[in-house]
Amino acid sequence: MSETWMIFGGWVAAGLTLFLFSFLYKDNPFFKATEHLYLGAGMGWVFQTVLYQTWIPKVWEPLRAGDFYVLIPTVLGLSLVTQFFPRISWVSRYGFTFIMGYGSGLVIPLTLSTDFLKQIGGTISPFLVSEVSRATFWPLLNGAIVAAGFVCVLVYFFFSVEHKGAIKKASTVGIYFLMLYFGAAFGNTVMGRFSLLYGRFDDLYKYSGAKYFYATHVILAALVLYFVISHFTSRKKEAEEEAA
Amino acid sequence: MLKTRLNLSFFTVLFAASAVSAAVPASTKNIPTAPDLSGFAAADMPYDKGEAVLVSWPAGPADVPGAVYQVYASSGAAWLKAEEFPAEKKFAADFELPFWAWSHDKAKHAVQLELPQLFSDFKTGMEYSFKVKYVNGKVTAESAPVKAAPKADLFNLARLNNLVLLLVIIVVFFWTVSHAKRKGLFIRRIAGLDAIDEAIGRATEMGRPIFYSTGIGAMSSVPTIASTSILAEVAKKVAQYDTQLKVPHFDPIVMTVCKEVVKQAYMEMERLDSYRDDINFFVSQDQFSYAASVDGMIHREKPAACFFIGHFMAESLLLAEVGATTGAIQIAGTEQESQLPFFFTSCDYTLIGEELYAAGAYLSKEPMLQSTLKVQDFGKAFVMVSVITGSALVMLATWLKWPLVLKVISHIFKAY
Repeated sequence: MSETWMIFGGWVAAGLTLFLFSFLYKDNPFFKATEHLYLGAGMGWVFQTVLYQTWIPKVWEPLRAGDFYVLIPTVLGLSLVTQFFPRISWVSRYGFTFIMGYGSGLVIPLTLSTDFLKQIGGTISPFLVSEVSRATFWPLLNGAIVAAGFVCVLVYFFFSVEHKGAIKKASTVGIYFLMLYFGAAFGNTVMGRFSLLYGRFDDLYKYSGAKYFYATHVILAALVLYFVISHFTSRKKEAEEEAA
Repeated sequence: MLKTRLNLSFFTVLFAASAVSAAVPASTKNIPTAPDLSGFAAADMPYDKGEAVLVSWPAGPADVPGAVYQVYASSGAAWLKAEEFPAEKKFAADFELPFWAWSHDKAKHAVQLELPQLFSDFKTGMEYSFKVKYVNGKVTAESAPVKAAPKADLFNLARLNNLVLLLVIIVVFFWTVSHAKRKGLFIRRIAGLDAIDEAIGRATEMGRPIFYSTGIGAMSSVPTIASTSILAEVAKKVAQYDTQLKVPHFDPIVMTVCKEVVKQAYMEMERLDSYRDDINFFVSQDQFSYAASVDGMIHREKPAACFFIGHFMAESLLLAEVGATTGAIQIAGTEQESQLPFFFTSCDYTLIGEELYAAGAYLSKEPMLQSTLKVQDFGKAFVMVSVITGSALVMLATWLKWPLVLKVISHIFKAY
């Protein structure tokens, strides 16, 4: 890639990042333009992914090779498009019925496997120690706390029983366990988001260099200028409207 | 004197003879012997999709440190080395299959060969040849080639525990359906769902729209299915109060299903004249483009209520935060535990995992749906009882050294 294109790319990247961040102040035309550009680019990306990773290798190439069985799922898939034509939109129900059917067929055994068996096996597994002794006391205690917390959380999710007495106490303990987990998950995800933010700041810093003709600084200054002008012009308009 | 000498000579000869006789077996012990590989067999790997073959042969005294087995496979042309491993490893006992589906034999070597990894032109049902070679220094032995064809199995016996569980759930389901029809079922209060009326009432009073997002899940995901059933109830109330509803979509299939759901809700409330086809509209199938666009819409249209119910990932906070800044009453619900904290912090009410699945039954009060809740509760009770008794039994079996009990429990509660 030539130097000119690199600089141009830097300006585009810095500009789009700052335009999106400008939403933190207030809605503005730069944010709107970037939002629509992002939407269009996202759809374009999805379209080419579907075209090159689904249509060509899974429909077009098998058909050219003489495998006409792929026509069955293809026709079922295309039947969904009939939704746009009210007179024949009933055809789409065949496709939907198939999707719902295979979806349920896939999910039910998987749910049984993960929600029941893996969960029970995982909770019991800390108790599978070679012997009960002083050395295994702490792992066993840890396993017992996890098992007790697990049972209490399940009690909280009992819907057909009124939560009072012992059930209420157990469900309250369950809520504490849930909140502990959510707190940890919150911290963990926020850390992840910060690393993404650092990535954007790192790029903005990179594009603020002389090599990119101070792209970040120039665009940021232009944005600030726009907001200052727009602030005064909107105030003037409001005053005129009030006077009228 | 002569007698003494004769005795001495006799004992010397006897000692020498005993030493020689003791030395002969010792020297033969060090000479490696080749194993008998006549028991080598190959067969289709049970309970698979038809891509693997199982080769097996008896273990023996030749399985000493330093010795290796080499397994070869051929599709008709040259032999390919498929596996090589130390002779004292890879037994039938090492397979992670349950006791009801597999014989954990410690006296038999067994190796599972994944044929697509060996042959680029692999076809299920085609016959392949296999042989095993024993190598221990200069001592080698080779089995006669045997043939086997992999085939796909319809039934996976290893998942018998899944099937039994499913059958139990089906029986419990039918029992609870009949019970619910006869006597009705109690469902405890769920605050997030009670707030739906409040949110729609607020939107009606303020004359502002209601935004409902089903998230980024496909129609096959359970939270999305649950979300459509909540949407149906929300749409009924919206139709009743003649409020504005907007449902931006990530997935075109979910959008089409939701269109039908909303239309049906308007029909049930006899307000089909108020139904518009653009209540449900497609936005983007790119996660963050969707989030950016819905954020923009929420910011500009300032809805009175926002519902974020379904499968959400990183866009959860982006959506809920913008909704919170507009002052909308927000009700969220997802099964994604990593996203729930964000909904807690930015929404007024949050449905946690299972509460989302209970919503359809809670709102509609239909006996059929209510009985599914009861079945779920039975499932939870089963899990609780299994965890408590399983843990107690495991502890007891470890204490009293009952390996069989440990094996049975660990195999029953394992997902294969």
